[in-house]
Amino acid sequence: MAAPAALYVLAFGVYPLLRGVGYSLYDYNLLAPRRTHFVGFGNYADLLGDPEMRRALLNTALFTVSAVTVELGLGFLIALALWRDDRFNRICLTLILIPVTITPLAVGLIFKGLLLADYGLVGYWLAQWGISPRGLFASTATALPTLVFVDVWEWTPLTALILLAGLKALPTDLLEAAAVDGATALRRLRQIVLPLMLPAILLALTLRTIDAFRVFDIVFVATAGGPGDATTTLMLLAVKDGLSFFDIGRASAIANAMLLCIAAIAAVYIVLIRGADRRANGR
Amino acid sequence: MALTKRNLLGLAMSGWFALTLGAAAKPLDGVTLNVASQNDQFAAVMAKLAPQFKDETGATVKVDILDYGSLLTKTTADFIAHSGGYDVITTDIVWAGQLAANDSTVELRPLIKRDSKEIDVDDIYPVLMKSLGNYGGKQVSFPFAGYANVLAYRTDLYKAAGLKPPSTMEELVADAYKLTDPAKKQYGFVANGQKGPAVAQDWMQYNAEMGGSILNAAGKPALNSAANIKSLTVYRDLFQKAAPPGAADYDWGGREESFRQGLSANMQTWSVGAPGYYDPKMSKIVGEVGIEVAPRGAGLPKVYGVGGWGLAINADSKHKEAAWTFIKWITSKKVHKQMNMMGAGSFLRKSELRDPELNAKFPFLPVIAESFEHGDGDYRPRIPEYPRIQDILGTAVNAVLVGNTDPKSALDEAQKAAEKLF
Repeated sequence: MAAPAALYVLAFGVYPLLRGVGYSLYDYNLLAPRRTHFVGFGNYADLLGDPEMRRALLNTALFTVSAVTVELGLGFLIALALWRDDRFNRICLTLILIPVTITPLAVGLIFKGLLLADYGLVGYWLAQWGISPRGLFASTATALPTLVFVDVWEWTPLTALILLAGLKALPTDLLEAAAVDGATALRRLRQIVLPLMLPAILLALTLRTIDAFRVFDIVFVATAGGPGDATTTLMLLAVKDGLSFFDIGRASAIANAMLLCIAAIAAVYIVLIRGADRRANGR
Repeated sequence: MALTKRNLLGLAMSGWFALTLGAAAKPLDGVTLNVASQNDQFAAVMAKLAPQFKDETGATVKVDILDYGSLLTKTTADFIAHSGGYDVITTDIVWAGQLAANDSTVELRPLIKRDSKEIDVDDIYPVLMKSLGNYGGKQVSFPFAGYANVLAYRTDLYKAAGLKPPSTMEELVADAYKLTDPAKKQYGFVANGQKGPAVAQDWMQYNAEMGGSILNAAGKPALNSAANIKSLTVYRDLFQKAAPPGAADYDWGGREESFRQGLSANMQTWSVGAPGYYDPKMSKIVGEVGIEVAPRGAGLPKVYGVGGWGLAINADSKHKEAAWTFIKWITSKKVHKQMNMMGAGSFLRKSELRDPELNAKFPFLPVIAESFEHGDGDYRPRIPEYPRIQDILGTAVNAVLVGNTDPKSALDEAQKAAEKLF
């Protein structure tokens, strides 16, 4: 019975992954296919020595940590606010989900247009008031935080939705009993809600981390990785190497390095949350 | 002749033959040509003209209009897989080196020689024939849409300041400062500043005009030459003191918009965008724009930047002769003029730039003619390493414009990276 699923995974998961690992060991450029030759771990060694790659790793890490932290915190607050099941909250939930439905490429273009210092709807006033004379995306200090803001704007509703689903699945009798026993709201949150919410938190955290780590669309259209290399991310480099320069070997090496990073982060999350779950719930 | 059954049958038969022969008279009946086209102004016009080609030759032309990245990705995949999915491909001026190195397209010299009378090769500007598709002696693409780098300026602002349009770079720089008044939201200069191809291409243009060069005489990178450092310093100062504050984030769209919105007094640009300044739906400066040949540094030879697109035949196409017929047809005097009357903004032939009807519609054509007569299509090196060099410069120049580094350090660093490519 599992054969179709196993075949699917082999064909669309394992095989491309292994091909990617294979390509990363070659100097393989589609524009010069005659020059293809085996270089072993040469592409990986090049990446380690490349300052642009190191900067991209740092930017990606900063972006991921800041965006996911804010999205999770803000998402949890929104989920708490919308916990009670009434008509007002249901309408609010529908409305706050609108940003999630917009394609990230369009989101990047919209914010770029809004924040242009010379004729952007918002950027013009920010420049007039002296807050950002050249535009938030055109300054090294503000470009990455602005991208984080855009990501938070788009994806916080999704974390809120996941966490809200977790909240709604909580056993109400337990919470009512705690309230009757005189437990304060803060104590109920700390000792009952948060421990029981750990699976939902793990899901939101893992999904958003993976997504934020491979951010591409909004960066590509809003800053193209600039100013300088202030917003260059790993995915931007991989796409540039693979689809602009057709350097499949190097692009595969970046993609594999990203896969390893994401796998390591996910493993850490799982270990940490399982540990917390065991301590809190004895599971 | 009596209308016997036999005669009637004979008449019917000859009528049927006449009909079928009439239909078969079109030489390319049943052929379908797939064209991959860059999404420039010529693309929609080419698609509109396709039925006319079918009427004349019988061949169906399907035009797949793609953005720059998709065009490059899809056609490269087509070349690598030898799938022959596209028969005809629009090729950017800077792709010639790569196409020649891999023999991805049909070498056109024998065909051009064979049909030179029909093509009237002498009517095509030599700079376009060379730069829009000739590399290392191979003609990998046929010139199709020539663009000239021109200076667009605000006639009203120049008049009010008592200035004449600049003819040298030194005058352009001086005028840019004189015409800048941030209090009035008026800036003397605008160019692309955004990281990537946008800033790299615009700076290379200014750099050539100020006497700089990307490669040295031996064809090797010379990014940190004294002339290049000087030109980047001038470019940076213009961005910091004479350009709209957000210009460091402008790509082509942002730059053109700032000019059409009346923010900037001067802009160097591709001639293909010029019709937009005369369109009241998108421009606030209708009637206040002059177009002139691009200025050069004082004492430097009068040569002007040329760019644009060629048409290449995929080496794996199954309809090479039909593809060549299409290329000859669309670049013919009659059809190319028709294309430009329809707003393609893509010039190629001396005869069309002299054409009274086209000149009446587009008053800036003499400027394009002058630019093509003394055109330079190599200020962006058309070599296989070009995309990487453009990328390196795209980061370095942008970093200078936003104040992260100084011109010398940025170009020293860029030179080190570029040397590794050779």
